[in-house]
Amino acid sequence: MRSETMTSKERLECAINLEKPDRVPIAILGNTSAMAGLVGEKYWEVVKKGYIAQFETELKFFDTYGGWDGVHAPLTSEIYYLGGLKVNPPSEASPEIQILEEELATVEDYEIIAEDGMNLFIVEHLIERAYGKDTSGKYLKIWQDTLVALSRSLKEYGKRGAHFIFPVLLTHPFFKLSLTRSMIKFTEDLYFRPELVEKALQKMTDELIQTYSSMADPNVYLTMGLVEERAGGFFYPMHIFERFWWPYTKQIINAFWKKGIKIWLHLDTCWDKNMHYFKDLPRGSTIIDLDGTTNIFSAKEQLRNHLAISSDVHPALMSLGKPQEVEAYCKKLIDDVGDDGGLVLCTGCCLPVATKKENFEAMLKTGKTYELSK
Amino acid sequence: MLEQLSSGFVELRREEVLETIKMRIEKGEAPLSILDDARQGMILVGDQFQEGILFLAEMMLASEIFKESVAILKPYMDQSRPSKSKGKIILATLKGDIHDLGKNILSTLLEGQGFQVFDLGVDVEPTVVLEKAKEIEPDFIGFSALITTVFKYMRDAADLLEKEGLRDKIKLMVGGGVTNNTLKEHLNADFQTTDAMAGVAYCLKMMEERQHA
Repeated sequence: MRSETMTSKERLECAINLEKPDRVPIAILGNTSAMAGLVGEKYWEVVKKGYIAQFETELKFFDTYGGWDGVHAPLTSEIYYLGGLKVNPPSEASPEIQILEEELATVEDYEIIAEDGMNLFIVEHLIERAYGKDTSGKYLKIWQDTLVALSRSLKEYGKRGAHFIFPVLLTHPFFKLSLTRSMIKFTEDLYFRPELVEKALQKMTDELIQTYSSMADPNVYLTMGLVEERAGGFFYPMHIFERFWWPYTKQIINAFWKKGIKIWLHLDTCWDKNMHYFKDLPRGSTIIDLDGTTNIFSAKEQLRNHLAISSDVHPALMSLGKPQEVEAYCKKLIDDVGDDGGLVLCTGCCLPVATKKENFEAMLKTGKTYELSK
Repeated sequence: MLEQLSSGFVELRREEVLETIKMRIEKGEAPLSILDDARQGMILVGDQFQEGILFLAEMMLASEIFKESVAILKPYMDQSRPSKSKGKIILATLKGDIHDLGKNILSTLLEGQGFQVFDLGVDVEPTVVLEKAKEIEPDFIGFSALITTVFKYMRDAADLLEKEGLRDKIKLMVGGGVTNNTLKEHLNADFQTTDAMAGVAYCLKMMEERQHA
Protein backbone atom coordinates (compact mmCIF):
# COMPACT_ATOMS: atom_id res chain seq x y z
CA MET A 1 0.00 0.00 0.00
CA ARG A 2 1.25 3.47 -0.86
CA SER A 3 1.83 5.99 1.92
CA GLU A 4 -0.05 9.22 2.39
CA THR A 5 1.75 12.17 0.85
CA MET A 6 -0.50 15.02 1.99
CA THR A 7 -1.51 16.58 5.28
CA SER A 8 -5.22 16.72 6.10
CA LYS A 9 -5.28 20.40 5.20
CA GLU A 10 -3.59 19.81 1.84
CA ARG A 11 -5.89 16.88 1.10
CA LEU A 12 -9.06 18.82 1.88
CA GLU A 13 -7.90 21.87 -0.07
CA CYS A 14 -6.92 19.71 -3.00
CA ALA A 15 -10.35 18.06 -3.13
CA ILE A 16 -12.36 21.24 -2.82
CA ASN A 17 -10.15 22.88 -5.44
CA LEU A 18 -11.34 20.08 -7.75
CA GLU A 19 -8.01 18.30 -7.92
CA LYS A 20 -7.13 14.71 -7.08
CA PRO A 21 -5.56 14.26 -3.62
CA ASP A 22 -3.42 11.29 -2.47
CA ARG A 23 -6.63 9.78 -1.10
CA VAL A 24 -10.15 11.00 -0.50
CA PRO A 25 -10.34 13.40 2.49
CA ILE A 26 -12.79 12.42 5.23
CA ALA A 27 -14.83 14.95 7.19
CA ILE A 28 -17.27 13.99 9.92
CA LEU A 29 -20.22 16.26 10.51
CA GLY A 30 -22.33 15.49 13.52
CA ASN A 31 -23.96 16.51 16.74
CA THR A 32 -22.20 15.52 19.95
CA SER A 33 -25.12 13.14 20.64
CA ALA A 34 -23.94 10.74 17.92
CA MET A 35 -20.30 10.98 18.92
CA ALA A 36 -21.04 10.32 22.61
CA GLY A 37 -22.85 7.10 21.73
CA LEU A 38 -19.88 5.84 19.76
CA VAL A 39 -17.53 6.24 22.71
CA GLY A 40 -19.94 4.65 25.19
CA GLU A 41 -20.97 7.89 26.86
CA LYS A 42 -24.52 8.83 27.74
CA TYR A 43 -25.13 12.08 25.93
CA TRP A 44 -28.03 13.06 28.16
CA GLU A 45 -25.56 13.05 31.07
CA VAL A 46 -22.73 14.77 29.17
CA VAL A 47 -25.03 17.57 28.06
CA LYS A 48 -25.77 18.52 31.67
CA LYS A 49 -22.08 19.30 32.17
CA GLY A 50 -22.13 22.03 29.54
CA TYR A 51 -20.50 22.94 26.26
CA ILE A 52 -16.88 22.31 27.23
CA ALA A 53 -17.70 18.76 28.40
CA GLN A 54 -19.27 18.09 25.03
CA PHE A 55 -16.13 19.30 23.31
CA GLU A 56 -14.11 16.83 25.45
CA THR A 57 -16.45 14.03 24.31
CA GLU A 58 -15.90 14.96 20.68
CA LEU A 59 -12.15 14.94 21.16
CA LYS A 60 -12.35 11.52 22.80
CA PHE A 61 -14.39 10.33 19.83
CA PHE A 62 -11.74 11.61 17.42
CA ASP A 63 -8.94 9.88 19.34
CA THR A 64 -10.82 6.61 19.84
CA TYR A 65 -11.31 6.09 16.13
CA GLY A 66 -7.89 7.26 15.01
CA GLY A 67 -8.96 10.59 13.58
CA TRP A 68 -9.79 11.90 10.12
CA ASP A 69 -9.17 15.02 8.06
CA GLY A 70 -12.00 17.52 8.51
CA VAL A 71 -13.45 18.58 11.88
CA HIS A 72 -15.71 21.30 13.25
CA ALA A 73 -16.57 22.84 16.61
CA PRO A 74 -19.19 20.96 18.66
CA LEU A 75 -22.78 21.23 17.45
CA THR A 76 -24.61 20.98 20.75
CA SER A 77 -27.99 21.96 22.11
CA GLU A 78 -26.39 25.21 23.38
CA ILE A 79 -25.74 26.28 19.80
CA TYR A 80 -29.46 26.08 19.12
CA TYR A 81 -30.08 28.23 22.21
CA LEU A 82 -27.83 30.92 20.77
CA GLY A 83 -29.93 30.82 17.63
CA GLY A 84 -33.16 31.17 19.59
CA LEU A 85 -34.33 27.74 18.53
CA LYS A 86 -36.05 25.44 20.94
CA VAL A 87 -34.72 21.89 21.20
CA ASN A 88 -35.76 18.88 23.23
CA PRO A 89 -33.65 18.13 26.29
CA PRO A 90 -31.70 14.99 25.29
CA SER A 91 -32.76 11.92 27.28
CA GLU A 92 -32.07 8.20 27.37
CA ALA A 93 -35.15 7.53 25.23
CA SER A 94 -34.26 10.34 22.86
CA PRO A 95 -30.55 11.23 22.88
CA GLU A 96 -30.75 13.04 19.54
CA ILE A 97 -30.95 16.84 19.53
CA GLN A 98 -34.27 17.66 17.88
CA ILE A 99 -35.65 21.08 17.12
CA LEU A 100 -39.10 21.63 18.62
CA GLU A 101 -40.62 23.59 15.81
CA GLU A 102 -43.09 26.16 17.05
CA GLU A 103 -44.47 29.41 15.72
CA LEU A 104 -42.08 31.54 17.76
CA ALA A 105 -42.20 34.51 15.40
CA THR A 106 -45.33 36.21 14.10
CA VAL A 107 -46.18 37.96 10.85
CA GLU A 108 -45.58 41.31 12.57
CA ASP A 109 -42.01 40.27 13.36
CA TYR A 110 -40.94 40.48 9.73
CA GLU A 111 -40.92 44.28 10.02
CA ILE A 112 -38.83 44.12 13.19
CA ILE A 113 -36.34 41.73 11.59
CA ALA A 114 -36.16 43.88 8.46
CA GLU A 115 -35.42 46.91 10.63
CA ASP A 116 -33.18 45.54 13.38
CA GLY A 117 -31.79 42.34 11.90
CA MET A 118 -32.14 38.76 13.07
CA ASN A 119 -29.25 38.88 15.56
CA LEU A 120 -30.94 41.51 17.71
CA PHE A 121 -34.33 39.88 17.23
CA ILE A 122 -32.93 36.63 18.64
CA VAL A 123 -31.52 38.34 21.72
CA GLU A 124 -34.46 40.64 22.35
CA HIS A 125 -37.35 38.33 21.47
CA LEU A 126 -36.69 34.82 20.28
CA ILE A 127 -34.73 33.38 23.20
CA GLU A 128 -37.30 34.63 25.67
CA ARG A 129 -40.15 33.16 23.63
CA ALA A 130 -38.38 29.81 23.34
CA TYR A 131 -36.88 29.50 26.80
CA GLY A 132 -38.24 32.27 29.00
CA LYS A 133 -36.34 35.30 30.22
CA ASP A 134 -32.58 34.76 30.52
CA THR A 135 -32.10 35.83 34.11
CA SER A 136 -28.99 33.77 34.76
CA GLY A 137 -26.79 35.16 32.00
CA LYS A 138 -26.99 31.86 30.12
CA TYR A 139 -26.65 33.52 26.72
CA LEU A 140 -23.34 35.17 27.57
CA LYS A 141 -22.03 32.06 29.29
CA ILE A 142 -22.68 29.92 26.22
CA TRP A 143 -20.96 32.46 23.99
CA GLN A 144 -17.96 32.45 26.29
CA ASP A 145 -17.87 28.64 26.33
CA THR A 146 -18.15 28.35 22.57
CA LEU A 147 -15.27 30.76 22.08
CA VAL A 148 -13.15 28.85 24.60
CA ALA A 149 -14.05 25.53 22.97
CA LEU A 150 -13.36 26.89 19.50
CA SER A 151 -9.94 28.07 20.52
CA ARG A 152 -9.21 24.74 22.26
CA SER A 153 -10.59 22.84 19.28
CA LEU A 154 -8.20 24.62 16.95
CA LYS A 155 -5.30 23.80 19.22
CA GLU A 156 -6.21 20.18 20.02
CA TYR A 157 -7.28 19.13 16.53
CA GLY A 158 -4.30 21.02 15.11
CA LYS A 159 -1.97 18.93 17.29
CA ARG A 160 -3.64 15.84 15.89
CA GLY A 161 -3.15 16.94 12.28
CA ALA A 162 -6.84 17.53 11.49
CA HIS A 163 -8.11 20.69 9.85
CA PHE A 164 -11.21 22.77 10.54
CA ILE A 165 -13.73 22.63 7.72
CA PHE A 166 -15.62 25.67 9.04
CA PRO A 167 -15.70 27.77 12.24
CA VAL A 168 -19.48 27.77 12.41
CA LEU A 169 -22.41 26.29 10.49
CA LEU A 170 -24.59 29.30 9.75
CA THR A 171 -28.31 28.97 9.15
CA HIS A 172 -29.45 30.30 5.79
CA PRO A 173 -31.84 33.26 6.20
CA PHE A 174 -34.62 31.35 4.39
CA PHE A 175 -34.21 28.32 6.69
CA LYS A 176 -33.96 30.52 9.75
CA LEU A 177 -37.25 32.23 9.00
CA SER A 178 -38.88 28.89 8.27
CA LEU A 179 -37.74 27.52 11.63
CA THR A 180 -38.81 30.56 13.60
CA ARG A 181 -42.19 30.96 11.91
CA SER A 182 -42.68 27.14 11.54
CA MET A 183 -42.78 25.62 8.11
CA ILE A 184 -46.44 25.86 7.21
CA LYS A 185 -46.81 29.45 8.46
CA PHE A 186 -43.65 30.46 6.61
CA THR A 187 -44.96 28.82 3.44
CA GLU A 188 -48.17 30.80 3.79
CA ASP A 189 -46.04 33.93 4.12
CA LEU A 190 -44.09 33.09 0.95
CA TYR A 191 -47.31 32.76 -1.01
CA PHE A 192 -49.52 35.37 0.62
CA ARG A 193 -47.11 38.00 2.09
CA PRO A 194 -44.04 37.80 -0.16
CA GLU A 195 -42.88 41.41 0.25
CA LEU A 196 -42.61 41.09 4.02
CA VAL A 197 -40.49 37.98 3.68
CA GLU A 198 -38.23 39.57 1.07
CA LYS A 199 -37.49 42.58 3.25
CA ALA A 200 -36.45 40.36 6.14
CA LEU A 201 -34.42 38.06 3.91
CA GLN A 202 -32.40 40.95 2.50
CA LYS A 203 -31.64 42.37 5.91
CA MET A 204 -30.62 38.96 7.22
CA THR A 205 -28.42 38.32 4.20
CA ASP A 206 -26.60 41.63 4.62
CA GLU A 207 -26.22 40.97 8.31
CA LEU A 208 -24.87 37.46 7.81
CA ILE A 209 -22.27 38.67 5.33
CA GLN A 210 -21.23 41.58 7.52
CA THR A 211 -21.04 39.57 10.74
CA TYR A 212 -19.33 36.44 9.54
CA SER A 213 -17.19 37.22 6.51
CA SER A 214 -14.51 38.70 8.76
CA MET A 215 -14.53 35.60 10.98
CA ALA A 216 -13.72 33.09 8.29
CA ASP A 217 -9.96 33.42 7.88
CA PRO A 218 -9.16 31.08 4.96
CA ASN A 219 -5.75 30.37 6.50
CA VAL A 220 -7.42 28.87 9.56
CA TYR A 221 -10.68 27.45 8.27
CA LEU A 222 -11.32 25.64 5.05
CA THR A 223 -14.73 27.22 4.45
CA MET A 224 -17.71 28.90 6.08
CA GLY A 225 -20.62 26.56 6.76
CA LEU A 226 -24.15 27.36 5.63
CA VAL A 227 -27.11 25.08 6.18
CA GLU A 228 -30.38 24.90 4.28
CA GLU A 229 -32.88 22.07 4.68
CA ARG A 230 -36.02 23.38 3.07
CA ALA A 231 -35.64 25.60 0.04
CA GLY A 232 -35.00 22.86 -2.52
CA GLY A 233 -37.31 21.29 -5.08
CA PHE A 234 -38.34 18.61 -2.63
CA PHE A 235 -40.57 21.22 -0.99
CA TYR A 236 -40.82 24.31 -3.16
CA PRO A 237 -41.41 25.09 -6.84
CA MET A 238 -38.72 26.85 -8.82
CA HIS A 239 -40.47 30.23 -8.75
CA ILE A 240 -40.22 30.22 -4.95
CA PHE A 241 -36.61 29.03 -5.04
CA GLU A 242 -35.69 31.64 -7.64
CA ARG A 243 -37.33 34.49 -5.77
CA PHE A 244 -36.65 33.73 -2.10
CA TRP A 245 -33.52 31.60 -1.97
CA TRP A 246 -31.26 31.67 -4.96
CA PRO A 247 -30.60 35.47 -5.11
CA TYR A 248 -29.70 35.63 -1.41
CA THR A 249 -27.58 32.51 -1.62
CA LYS A 250 -25.63 33.99 -4.54
CA GLN A 251 -25.13 37.22 -2.60
CA ILE A 252 -23.69 35.27 0.34
CA ILE A 253 -21.47 32.99 -1.74
CA ASN A 254 -20.17 35.83 -3.91
CA ALA A 255 -19.45 38.08 -0.92
CA PHE A 256 -17.41 35.38 0.82
CA TRP A 257 -15.77 34.30 -2.43
CA LYS A 258 -14.50 37.84 -3.00
CA LYS A 259 -12.65 37.47 0.29
CA GLY A 260 -11.24 34.11 -0.74
CA ILE A 261 -13.65 32.11 1.42
CA LYS A 262 -15.57 29.12 0.12
CA ILE A 263 -19.00 28.10 1.39
CA TRP A 264 -19.68 24.60 2.70
CA LEU A 265 -23.32 24.41 1.66
CA HIS A 266 -25.07 21.75 3.72
CA LEU A 267 -28.21 20.84 1.79
CA ASP A 268 -30.71 18.46 3.34
CA THR A 269 -33.63 16.84 1.49
CA CYS A 270 -33.63 16.25 -2.26
CA TRP A 271 -32.14 18.99 -4.46
CA ASP A 272 -32.22 17.09 -7.77
CA LYS A 273 -34.44 19.72 -9.37
CA ASN A 274 -32.18 22.58 -8.32
CA MET A 275 -28.75 21.15 -9.00
CA HIS A 276 -28.24 22.81 -12.38
CA TYR A 277 -28.54 26.27 -10.77
CA PHE A 278 -25.28 25.71 -8.89
CA LYS A 279 -23.37 25.69 -12.17
CA ASP A 280 -23.84 29.47 -12.17
CA LEU A 281 -21.67 29.87 -9.08
CA PRO A 282 -17.97 30.69 -9.47
CA ARG A 283 -15.90 27.57 -10.07
CA GLY A 284 -14.57 26.19 -6.79
CA SER A 285 -16.52 28.67 -4.65
CA THR A 286 -18.81 26.16 -2.93
CA ILE A 287 -18.79 22.62 -1.57
CA ILE A 288 -22.14 20.97 -2.10
CA ASP A 289 -22.82 18.82 0.97
CA LEU A 290 -25.68 16.37 0.39
CA ASP A 291 -27.66 14.21 2.82
CA GLY A 292 -28.26 10.99 0.91
CA THR A 293 -31.61 11.93 -0.60
CA THR A 294 -30.27 13.99 -3.51
CA ASN A 295 -28.86 11.82 -6.31
CA ILE A 296 -25.17 12.43 -5.68
CA PHE A 297 -24.08 10.68 -8.87
CA SER A 298 -26.26 12.88 -11.04
CA ALA A 299 -25.10 15.93 -9.05
CA LYS A 300 -21.51 14.97 -9.79
CA GLU A 301 -22.13 14.78 -13.52
CA GLN A 302 -23.76 18.20 -13.48
CA LEU A 303 -21.10 19.83 -11.31
CA ARG A 304 -18.05 17.90 -12.50
CA ASN A 305 -14.94 20.09 -12.56
CA HIS A 306 -16.98 23.01 -11.26
CA LEU A 307 -17.90 22.46 -7.60
CA ALA A 308 -16.74 19.88 -5.06
CA ILE A 309 -19.21 17.56 -3.35
CA SER A 310 -19.18 16.10 0.12
CA SER A 311 -21.22 13.18 1.38
CA ASP A 312 -23.17 10.82 1.43
CA VAL A 313 -23.16 7.52 3.30
CA HIS A 314 -26.86 7.17 4.12
CA PRO A 315 -27.98 7.30 7.80
CA ALA A 316 -29.92 4.04 7.45
CA LEU A 317 -26.85 2.34 5.99
CA MET A 318 -24.69 3.56 8.88
CA SER A 319 -27.32 2.44 11.40
CA LEU A 320 -28.60 -0.83 9.99
CA GLY A 321 -26.20 -1.90 7.25
CA LYS A 322 -23.25 -4.27 7.41
CA PRO A 323 -19.62 -3.05 7.31
CA GLN A 324 -19.18 -4.71 3.89
CA GLU A 325 -22.11 -2.67 2.56
CA VAL A 326 -20.65 0.56 3.97
CA GLU A 327 -17.29 -0.30 2.45
CA ALA A 328 -18.86 -1.06 -0.95
CA TYR A 329 -20.78 2.22 -0.96
CA CYS A 330 -17.75 4.28 0.07
CA LYS A 331 -15.75 2.67 -2.75
CA LYS A 332 -18.51 3.54 -5.20
CA LEU A 333 -18.45 7.16 -4.02
CA ILE A 334 -14.67 7.33 -4.31
CA ASP A 335 -14.69 5.75 -7.78
CA ASP A 336 -17.68 7.54 -9.26
CA VAL A 337 -17.83 10.90 -7.46
CA GLY A 338 -14.17 11.26 -6.50
CA ASP A 339 -12.67 9.83 -9.68
CA ASP A 340 -11.22 13.18 -10.72
CA GLY A 341 -11.08 14.63 -7.19
CA GLY A 342 -13.68 17.03 -5.86
CA LEU A 343 -15.04 14.64 -3.21
CA VAL A 344 -14.97 14.87 0.57
CA LEU A 345 -16.19 11.59 2.08
CA CYS A 346 -18.87 12.27 4.65
CA THR A 347 -22.07 10.76 6.05
CA GLY A 348 -25.40 11.84 4.58
CA CYS A 349 -26.52 14.86 6.64
CA CYS A 350 -24.92 14.32 10.05
CA LEU A 351 -23.49 11.24 11.65
CA PRO A 352 -26.61 9.43 12.90
CA VAL A 353 -26.99 8.59 16.58
CA ALA A 354 -27.74 4.93 15.84
CA THR A 355 -24.50 4.47 13.87
CA LYS A 356 -22.93 1.07 14.44
CA LYS A 357 -19.33 1.23 15.60
CA GLU A 358 -18.20 -1.30 12.99
CA ASN A 359 -19.88 0.70 10.20
CA PHE A 360 -18.16 3.90 11.23
CA GLU A 361 -14.86 2.07 11.33
CA ALA A 362 -15.54 0.63 7.87
CA MET A 363 -16.20 4.10 6.49
CA LEU A 364 -12.99 5.51 7.94
CA LYS A 365 -10.89 2.52 6.88
CA THR A 366 -12.20 2.57 3.32
CA GLY A 367 -11.59 6.30 3.02
CA LYS A 368 -8.08 6.01 4.38
CA THR A 369 -6.90 2.92 2.52
CA TYR A 370 -8.90 2.18 -0.64
CA GLU A 371 -7.11 4.48 -3.06
CA LEU A 372 -3.70 4.00 -1.49
CA SER A 373 -3.98 0.25 -1.85
CA LYS A 374 -4.85 0.35 -5.55
CA MET B 1 -68.02 32.33 -4.42
CA LEU B 2 -66.10 29.78 -6.44
CA GLU B 3 -67.91 28.13 -9.29
CA GLN B 4 -65.82 25.00 -8.83
CA LEU B 5 -64.74 24.39 -5.28
CA SER B 6 -62.09 21.89 -6.33
CA SER B 7 -60.14 24.42 -8.39
CA GLY B 8 -59.78 26.63 -5.31
CA PHE B 9 -57.60 23.97 -3.71
CA VAL B 10 -55.32 23.69 -6.72
CA GLU B 11 -54.98 27.47 -6.96
CA LEU B 12 -54.57 27.84 -3.18
CA ARG B 13 -57.44 30.35 -2.96
CA ARG B 14 -57.98 29.83 0.75
CA GLU B 15 -60.39 32.66 1.56
CA GLU B 16 -62.60 31.92 -1.43
CA VAL B 17 -62.72 28.20 -0.68
CA LEU B 18 -63.76 28.75 2.93
CA GLU B 19 -66.27 31.41 1.98
CA THR B 20 -67.78 29.15 -0.69
CA ILE B 21 -68.17 26.29 1.78
CA LYS B 22 -69.93 28.53 4.29
CA MET B 23 -72.29 29.87 1.64
CA ARG B 24 -73.17 26.42 0.34
CA ILE B 25 -73.88 25.24 3.89
CA GLU B 26 -76.08 28.28 4.45
CA LYS B 27 -77.98 27.43 1.29
CA GLY B 28 -78.78 24.05 2.81
CA GLU B 29 -76.58 21.88 0.64
CA ALA B 30 -75.70 18.46 2.04
CA PRO B 31 -72.35 18.70 3.83
CA LEU B 32 -71.19 15.38 2.41
CA SER B 33 -71.68 16.69 -1.10
CA ILE B 34 -69.54 19.74 -0.27
CA LEU B 35 -66.95 17.48 1.36
CA ASP B 36 -66.86 15.36 -1.78
CA ASP B 37 -66.07 18.48 -3.81
CA ALA B 38 -63.33 19.41 -1.37
CA ARG B 39 -61.92 15.90 -1.63
CA GLN B 40 -62.06 16.18 -5.38
CA GLY B 41 -59.92 19.31 -4.99
CA MET B 42 -57.38 17.37 -2.97
CA ILE B 43 -57.38 14.58 -5.55
CA LEU B 44 -56.61 17.18 -8.22
CA VAL B 45 -53.85 18.58 -6.01
CA GLY B 46 -52.42 15.08 -5.65
CA ASP B 47 -52.61 14.44 -9.38
CA GLN B 48 -50.86 17.72 -10.14
CA PHE B 49 -48.21 16.91 -7.57
CA GLN B 50 -47.55 13.56 -9.21
CA GLU B 51 -47.31 15.25 -12.59
CA GLY B 52 -44.71 17.64 -11.17
CA ILE B 53 -46.96 20.69 -11.60
CA LEU B 54 -47.49 21.28 -7.88
CA PHE B 55 -44.82 20.90 -5.19
CA LEU B 56 -44.91 19.57 -1.66
CA ALA B 57 -45.20 23.05 -0.11
CA GLU B 58 -48.25 23.75 -2.25
CA MET B 59 -49.73 20.40 -1.28
CA MET B 60 -49.18 21.38 2.35
CA LEU B 61 -51.02 24.65 1.85
CA ALA B 62 -53.87 22.86 0.07
CA SER B 63 -53.96 20.37 2.96
CA GLU B 64 -54.29 23.21 5.42
CA ILE B 65 -57.21 24.61 3.44
CA PHE B 66 -58.76 21.14 3.39
CA LYS B 67 -58.40 20.83 7.17
CA GLU B 68 -60.08 24.19 7.65
CA SER B 69 -62.83 23.12 5.26
CA VAL B 70 -63.46 19.92 7.22
CA ALA B 71 -63.58 21.93 10.45
CA ILE B 72 -66.35 24.09 9.00
CA LEU B 73 -68.28 21.07 7.74
CA LYS B 74 -67.84 18.80 10.74
CA PRO B 75 -70.65 20.15 12.97
CA TYR B 76 -73.12 19.62 10.13
CA MET B 77 -71.77 16.21 9.13
CA ASP B 78 -72.53 14.73 12.53
CA GLN B 79 -76.18 15.09 11.67
CA SER B 80 -75.93 13.29 8.36
CA ARG B 81 -75.03 9.76 7.32
CA PRO B 82 -71.38 8.80 7.62
CA SER B 83 -69.35 8.71 4.44
CA LYS B 84 -67.85 5.36 3.46
CA SER B 85 -64.17 5.03 4.28
CA LYS B 86 -61.75 3.82 1.62
CA GLY B 87 -59.66 2.12 4.26
CA LYS B 88 -58.26 2.53 7.76
CA ILE B 89 -54.72 3.58 8.57
CA ILE B 90 -52.80 4.15 11.79
CA LEU B 91 -50.01 6.74 11.57
CA ALA B 92 -47.38 7.36 14.22
CA THR B 93 -43.94 8.76 14.85
CA LEU B 94 -42.47 6.35 17.36
CA LYS B 95 -40.72 6.76 20.69
CA GLY B 96 -37.95 9.33 20.87
CA ASP B 97 -38.82 11.10 17.62
CA ILE B 98 -40.86 14.30 17.72
CA HIS B 99 -40.89 15.18 14.01
CA ASP B 100 -44.35 15.19 12.49
CA LEU B 101 -44.33 17.29 9.33
CA GLY B 102 -44.28 14.39 6.86
CA LYS B 103 -46.73 12.34 8.89
CA ASN B 104 -49.16 15.24 9.11
CA ILE B 105 -49.02 15.83 5.38
CA LEU B 106 -49.70 12.16 4.67
CA SER B 107 -52.52 12.17 7.19
CA THR B 108 -54.29 15.08 5.53
CA LEU B 109 -53.76 13.71 2.04
CA LEU B 110 -55.18 10.34 3.01
CA GLU B 111 -58.19 11.98 4.64
CA GLY B 112 -58.63 13.96 1.46
CA GLN B 113 -58.76 10.68 -0.44
CA GLY B 114 -61.43 9.28 1.88
CA PHE B 115 -59.29 7.15 4.20
CA GLN B 116 -60.02 6.99 7.90
CA VAL B 117 -56.81 8.10 9.59
CA PHE B 118 -55.94 7.35 13.20
CA ASP B 119 -52.99 9.64 13.89
CA LEU B 120 -51.36 8.63 17.17
CA GLY B 121 -48.99 11.62 17.15
CA VAL B 122 -45.28 11.67 18.00
CA ASP B 123 -43.10 9.93 20.58
CA VAL B 124 -45.46 6.94 20.57
CA GLU B 125 -44.73 3.65 22.36
CA PRO B 126 -44.91 0.56 20.11
CA THR B 127 -47.41 -1.01 22.52
CA VAL B 128 -49.80 1.90 21.93
CA VAL B 129 -49.71 1.13 18.21
CA LEU B 130 -50.45 -2.52 18.92
CA GLU B 131 -53.43 -1.70 21.13
CA LYS B 132 -54.85 0.64 18.52
CA ALA B 133 -54.34 -1.98 15.83
CA LYS B 134 -56.24 -4.54 17.88
CA GLU B 135 -59.03 -2.04 18.45
CA ILE B 136 -59.62 -0.77 14.93
CA GLU B 137 -58.17 -3.51 12.70
CA PRO B 138 -56.51 -1.16 10.22
CA ASP B 139 -55.56 -1.90 6.63
CA PHE B 140 -52.29 0.00 6.99
CA ILE B 141 -49.87 1.16 9.65
CA GLY B 142 -47.44 3.91 8.73
CA PHE B 143 -44.38 4.98 10.71
CA SER B 144 -42.58 8.23 10.02
CA ALA B 145 -38.98 8.94 11.08
CA LEU B 146 -36.41 11.68 10.87
CA ILE B 147 -33.88 10.22 13.28
CA THR B 148 -32.23 6.84 13.34
CA THR B 149 -32.75 6.01 17.02
CA VAL B 150 -36.40 5.33 16.23
CA PHE B 151 -35.52 2.34 14.01
CA LYS B 152 -35.41 -0.03 16.95
CA TYR B 153 -38.89 1.01 18.07
CA MET B 154 -40.15 0.43 14.54
CA ARG B 155 -38.72 -3.05 14.80
CA ASP B 156 -40.33 -3.55 18.21
CA ALA B 157 -43.71 -2.49 16.81
CA ALA B 158 -43.34 -4.80 13.79
CA ASP B 159 -42.41 -7.69 16.11
CA LEU B 160 -45.41 -7.01 18.37
CA LEU B 161 -47.76 -7.07 15.39
CA GLU B 162 -46.18 -10.32 14.23
CA LYS B 163 -46.45 -11.90 17.67
CA GLU B 164 -50.13 -11.00 17.93
CA GLY B 165 -50.84 -12.50 14.51
CA LEU B 166 -51.84 -9.14 13.03
CA ARG B 167 -48.96 -8.55 10.67
CA ASP B 168 -50.38 -10.53 7.71
CA LYS B 169 -53.58 -8.51 7.76
CA ILE B 170 -51.84 -5.11 7.74
CA LYS B 171 -49.60 -3.38 5.23
CA LEU B 172 -46.67 -1.86 7.08
CA MET B 173 -45.34 1.41 5.63
CA VAL B 174 -42.33 3.53 6.60
CA GLY B 175 -41.41 7.00 5.46
CA GLY B 176 -39.20 9.97 6.24
CA GLY B 177 -35.82 11.44 5.45
CA VAL B 178 -33.69 8.76 7.10
CA THR B 179 -35.61 5.80 5.69
CA ASN B 180 -34.52 3.77 2.71
CA ASN B 181 -34.68 0.24 1.37
CA THR B 182 -32.25 -1.00 4.02
CA LEU B 183 -34.78 -0.04 6.69
CA LYS B 184 -37.65 -1.56 4.73
CA GLU B 185 -35.81 -4.88 4.58
CA HIS B 186 -34.79 -4.64 8.24
CA LEU B 187 -38.44 -4.31 9.24
CA ASN B 188 -39.79 -6.61 6.57
CA ALA B 189 -42.09 -3.68 5.75
CA ASP B 190 -44.32 -3.61 2.70
CA PHE B 191 -43.55 -0.09 1.52
CA GLN B 192 -41.02 2.71 2.04
CA THR B 193 -40.95 6.24 0.70
CA THR B 194 -39.76 9.77 1.30
CA ASP B 195 -42.67 11.05 -0.81
CA ALA B 196 -46.07 11.47 0.89
CA MET B 197 -47.97 11.28 -2.39
CA ALA B 198 -46.32 7.97 -3.23
CA GLY B 199 -47.65 6.75 0.13
CA VAL B 200 -51.16 7.77 -0.84
CA ALA B 201 -50.82 6.10 -4.24
CA TYR B 202 -49.66 2.90 -2.53
CA CYS B 203 -52.67 2.87 -0.18
CA LEU B 204 -55.08 3.44 -3.05
CA LYS B 205 -53.46 0.69 -5.12
CA MET B 206 -53.54 -1.81 -2.26
CA MET B 207 -57.20 -1.13 -1.51
CA GLU B 208 -58.06 -1.51 -5.18
CA GLU B 209 -56.21 -4.81 -5.35
CA ARG B 210 -57.95 -5.99 -2.20
CA GLN B 211 -61.35 -5.22 -3.73
CA HIS B 212 -60.53 -7.21 -6.83
CA ALA B 213 -59.00 -10.14 -4.95
